[in-house]
Amino acid sequence: MGFLTHLGRDVRNLLFRDSEQNAIPSMDGALGPNDRLDRCEPIGEPLPGADDAVAHGDRLYVSAGRQVLRLSGEGFRERALVHAFEGEAGGLALHPDGRLIVCVAGRGLAALDPDRPDPQYLAPGPAGSVGGLTAVTCLTDGTIWCTEGAQGKTANDWLRDLLDKGASGRLLRCSAALDRVDVAAQGLAWPNGIAPARDGTLLVSESWRHGVRRIGLDGARQPDFIRNLPAYPARIRPAKDGYHLALFGVRTHLIEFLLKEDEFRQEMLTTVAPEHWIGPALASGHDCLEPMQIGSIKALGIQKPWAPPRSYGLYTHVDDGGEVVESLHSRAGGRYHGVTAACDTPQGVVIVAKGAGRLLLYRPEAQP
Amino acid sequence: MSLTTFDGFGASVRRFSPRLLLSELMMKQWFEPVIPFFVMIGLWIGFSFAINDYASSINALSMLRLFAEFGFVALAMAFSLITGGIDLSVGAIFAFCNFAALYFVLVAELPVPLVILATLATGAVLGGINGFLIGVLKARPFLTTLVTLIILRATVNLLNTYYAQTFAINSTDSDAWDYIGSGAPLGIPLNAATLLVVLFVGHIFLSRSRYGWHLTAIGASRKAARHAGIRVRTMLFFTYVLSGVLCAAGGLFYAARQASTDSTTGVGWEFQALTAVVLGGVSLAGGKGTVWRAMIGALIVFTLTNGLVRMGIPGYVTSALIGMLLLAAVGIDVKWSKNRGKAIQKTYVNPARVALAAAPSVAAKSASPFAQNDRLLHADAIGLDQVEGPEDVILDRQDRVYGSTRDGNIIRFSGPDLKTREVFAHIGGRPLGMQFDRDENLIVAVAGMGVYGITPAGKSYKITDETNRTWYKLNDDSRLRMADDLDIAPDGKIYFSDCTTRYEMTTNTLDILEARPNGRLVCYDPATKTTRTVINHFYFPNGICVSHDGRSVLIASTSLCKVFRHWIEGPNKGRTEVLIDKLPGNPDNINRASDGTYWLALVGIRTPTFDLSMRNPGFRLRMVKQVPADEWLAPGLNHGCVLKFNEAGEPLESFWDPTGISHSTLTSMREHKGYLYLGGLENNRIGRVRLDGVDETWTGFDAYWGSKRRDRS
Repeated sequence: MGFLTHLGRDVRNLLFRDSEQNAIPSMDGALGPNDRLDRCEPIGEPLPGADDAVAHGDRLYVSAGRQVLRLSGEGFRERALVHAFEGEAGGLALHPDGRLIVCVAGRGLAALDPDRPDPQYLAPGPAGSVGGLTAVTCLTDGTIWCTEGAQGKTANDWLRDLLDKGASGRLLRCSAALDRVDVAAQGLAWPNGIAPARDGTLLVSESWRHGVRRIGLDGARQPDFIRNLPAYPARIRPAKDGYHLALFGVRTHLIEFLLKEDEFRQEMLTTVAPEHWIGPALASGHDCLEPMQIGSIKALGIQKPWAPPRSYGLYTHVDDGGEVVESLHSRAGGRYHGVTAACDTPQGVVIVAKGAGRLLLYRPEAQP
Repeated sequence: MSLTTFDGFGASVRRFSPRLLLSELMMKQWFEPVIPFFVMIGLWIGFSFAINDYASSINALSMLRLFAEFGFVALAMAFSLITGGIDLSVGAIFAFCNFAALYFVLVAELPVPLVILATLATGAVLGGINGFLIGVLKARPFLTTLVTLIILRATVNLLNTYYAQTFAINSTDSDAWDYIGSGAPLGIPLNAATLLVVLFVGHIFLSRSRYGWHLTAIGASRKAARHAGIRVRTMLFFTYVLSGVLCAAGGLFYAARQASTDSTTGVGWEFQALTAVVLGGVSLAGGKGTVWRAMIGALIVFTLTNGLVRMGIPGYVTSALIGMLLLAAVGIDVKWSKNRGKAIQKTYVNPARVALAAAPSVAAKSASPFAQNDRLLHADAIGLDQVEGPEDVILDRQDRVYGSTRDGNIIRFSGPDLKTREVFAHIGGRPLGMQFDRDENLIVAVAGMGVYGITPAGKSYKITDETNRTWYKLNDDSRLRMADDLDIAPDGKIYFSDCTTRYEMTTNTLDILEARPNGRLVCYDPATKTTRTVINHFYFPNGICVSHDGRSVLIASTSLCKVFRHWIEGPNKGRTEVLIDKLPGNPDNINRASDGTYWLALVGIRTPTFDLSMRNPGFRLRMVKQVPADEWLAPGLNHGCVLKFNEAGEPLESFWDPTGISHSTLTSMREHKGYLYLGGLENNRIGRVRLDGVDETWTGFDAYWGSKRRDRS
C-alpha cells in the first residue's frame, strides 16, 4: 500500500468520521447491557455445533454439526436423531407441507420428511454451486427462499469473508419441489438470516452491513429494516409480535480499524492460522494464542464484563418497525456466546448459542 | 563501570525517528521561541539582500542604537504580560520620561547622575500609579493603563507646547550627557549595552529568583498564587513600578540621543511592543514568557519596521503589516497554548519495527519445554482477595511471605497457614521487584519513585531516585521513571531495571507498543552512594537476577522476548550477550532456583497477531491514534506461565495456568523450602505450588547471603 493509499484513507477518515465504520453505536436503550442470557436455563447436555432451531408444534428441530435432531418433552429434554448429513447442517425451515428444509454445507438445500428421513436435494440450476447456504425460509405459497453467505465459501468461512470485506452473497428462490432455483438478489454482504415480513416482503440480515435489509419478492431492494447495529446479525425469525434477531458477535473498534488496514489484514490472512485472527469469534478464552485487547486483562481474577469482547452472546427482540425492544446479553467473561438463532416454542423462546454449544430456554415470565 | 549502549538487538531496528525528535522537542519550553528566532534571522538575511550595506557591522551597531530604547519598552510590556496583566501606558510613560529627562537637564540643569535618578524615579512614580490602581485597588489592567495612557499623553503634549521653545534655546555641554546619548563602550552603543545587562539581570530575576517565580505564578493563576501565600498585591504593584522604570530608562536614552521632544514621541509604541512581545512567545494569557522571547519579538518588529522604511515603503503600509502580524501572533498564541498538549500527545508514541523470531510452540502435549499444562491451576491461594496485584513475592528467614501491591504497600502474610495479613510498610508509588540485602533490609523497586529500602522493623527509607543524565537526550532522563525489578550482587551493589524513561506505570503498555529501547539497567553502589546507568537504551528491561556465581546479571527484555546476560565480573566484564533468544512470551521477573537454575515468569504470551503487529509499526501507530486505549491489541495476558532455565539459557520445563483461571498476568515466582510462590501484577492472591525433588531447606536468603551460596564454592 503506497503513500497515496494511506493518505486517501486518512482523508476519508477525516471527511467521513461518522461513517458506519467509524461510529459503532453504543449499546444503550433496549440494547443496554445485562446478564440475562447467562441466566437463561440451558436445555439438556451441551450440543456442540448447534446452529439453528425451528419449532413445529411442541417439537423442536435443531441442526448441530452434521446432524439434525428432534427435541421434545418438558424442557426439551428428549433428543432423537432425525438425520445425519454428509456436510454440516445449518439453517432450518419448515415447509407448509410438513417437510423440513435444511441447508447442508457443500451440498445445498435438502428437504426431508422428519418422520421418514430420505433427503431430496436441490437440483442444480443456473445459480451454479450453492454449497454455502446460511439460512432458509418458506413462504405460504410454497416457495423456498434461502441465502448464500458468499459465492464459493461455505458457512464456516464467515470470518474470512468479513476480513475479505466480501459482498458476494445471494438471495435464492427455489420452487417447492426443489427442481428450480434462480437468483433473486446478489451483492449482499454475508446474508445470514431470512424471514418473511408481515408486509409481504422478505427480511434478510446482512452481517457485514450490520443490519437487516428488506427485499421485495421481485428481488428489488426496499428501505432497510434495521441499520447500523453494534453487532453482527445472524438469523431472523418471526415471533408472535415482531421478530427474533440473533447476533453472533459484536463489532469492536479494533475490528473496524483492522478493516481499514488492508496491508496488515492481508498479511494476517496469509500468515496466521484462522483461529488466531483478529475478528469476532463465536467463543473465546480457551486458547492463549488468540488475539487479546488490553481492556480484556483479568483484574483481580475477574474479566470485566465491559471489556472489549472477542466473543459475545446477544439475542434481541425486534418490533415490526425494526426497533429493538428487548435484548439478552452474555458479556465478556460470560457463558453463552455466539448466538446464531432463536425461535418461538410453546415453552418459551429457544436461543441457540453456537459458541457455547448450548440451547437455552428463555421464559420471559421467569426472568423479571 | 562505564556507560555503554548495547547494540546487540539486531540490525533491523531503526533508532532515529524524526517524529520522535519532534515530539520531544515540542515538550521543551525552549522550543517555543525557535520559530520566532528563525523568523528574526530570516528577516535579517532578507533585508541584507534587499538593502545595500545592510549586513555590515556598522549598520548592525547603528541599528542596535536605534533599537535599544524600543527594547526597554518591550521588556516593560513583557513583565506586565507575564503577570497576567497588560501595560498600555508604556509608550506614554516613555514619552513623559523623555520629556522629564530633557527638563531635568535643560531647565533644572541638574548634574547628570541626578538626572538619571530623577528620570528613573519619574518612571517609578508613573508606574506606581498604575501599580496602585491595579495591584492595590484591583482595577482592570487594560482599562487602567488605557486611562493613564490618555492622561499622560495629553500631559506630555501640553508640556511639550509649553516647553518647546525653552528646549530649543537651551543646550547642555555636559560630556556625561553626550556619552549617554552617543557613547559606545567596547564599540557597543551604551543604550544597547545597558539593555543587554538589564536583560541578563531580568532573566536571572525572572527564572532564578523567588520573586520572578512569584510573578509567573500570579500570571498563570492569580487565585492559586494567592492560595499559595504569594503577596499578589505587592508583587503586582512592583511589577508596574518596574515597568515604569524600564520605560524611563528607554526615555532617558532617547532624550540623550535625540535631545528633542514632540507630540509623536513614543506614539503607538504600546502596540508595537505588544505585537513584539506576543510574537516572541510571551503569552497574552500570562504566566508564560522569558525576557529573551520578548527581545526576539522586539527585534522582529524593529527589523521589519526599520527595513521597510529604508526600502521606501510608506509608513501606513508598515503599520498595517505590523497589525496583521499582531493578529497572526495572537491567533497562534491562543491556538498553540490550547493545543500544545494535544500535539505532543498525538506525536509522542512512535512505534518501531521489531521482527521477532518465530515463537516456539506452546502446544499442549508437545515435546517442547514450553508445552502447556495445568500445573499452576490448583495452586494454594494465600491471602485470596486480601492483596491487590502482588507484582513480586518474597519470603524472609522466618518464612513470612511479602507481596508488593498496587496500593503502594508491602503486605506480609505470616502464621502457621500464612493467614495473618499485615501491612508491613507503606511506601507509595507502585512497589514492584523486591530483594533482601545482607542485613535483611527489604530493598524494593518502586515505579514512579525509585529504589527504597525497608528495615526489618518496617521503616522505609530512600536509596536512590535518580541516575546520571544522558547528555544528548532531550528528555531529561535523570529521574527513575519506572524502577521495575532489582537484585543485589555479592558486593552489595543493587542492579535494577528502569524499564522505560518515556512512560509511566499507568502507560507502560505504550512502551511495549512503541517497542523502542527506552529502558536501562542502573546500578546503585552503596559504598559510594552513587547511582550510574550501566546499560542505556535497553528494550523494556524487566526482570533482573544476579547469577548464582555472582559474576553476571540476567536481564529480561519484555518487548524483545529475550533474556540477556550482562557480565559484572571476570574477563567479559562490561559485555552483554543474549542468553535466551526465543521465548514464547514476554518475560518478566527472573529468580534463582534451588538447583542452580533460574525461574522466569512470562507475563504475556506472544500471539501470532501481536507478533505481526510488532513487524508493522505503522499499524500500531494508527491503532494508538484511532482505537480507544482499552481496545488496543496486546500480547495474551490472561494466563500464567513460569519457566525454568539453566545457566546456559536452555529452557527446561514450564508450569502453566493456560487460561488464567487462578493465575493470570503472572509476573513473579520465588522458590522457598520446597514450594514455589507466585505473584501476579493484576491478581487477587499469592499462589503456592509444591515442587517435587528439590532441596527443601533452600531459601532465597541463604542463596544470597547464607549457607546456600554458590559464588564461593
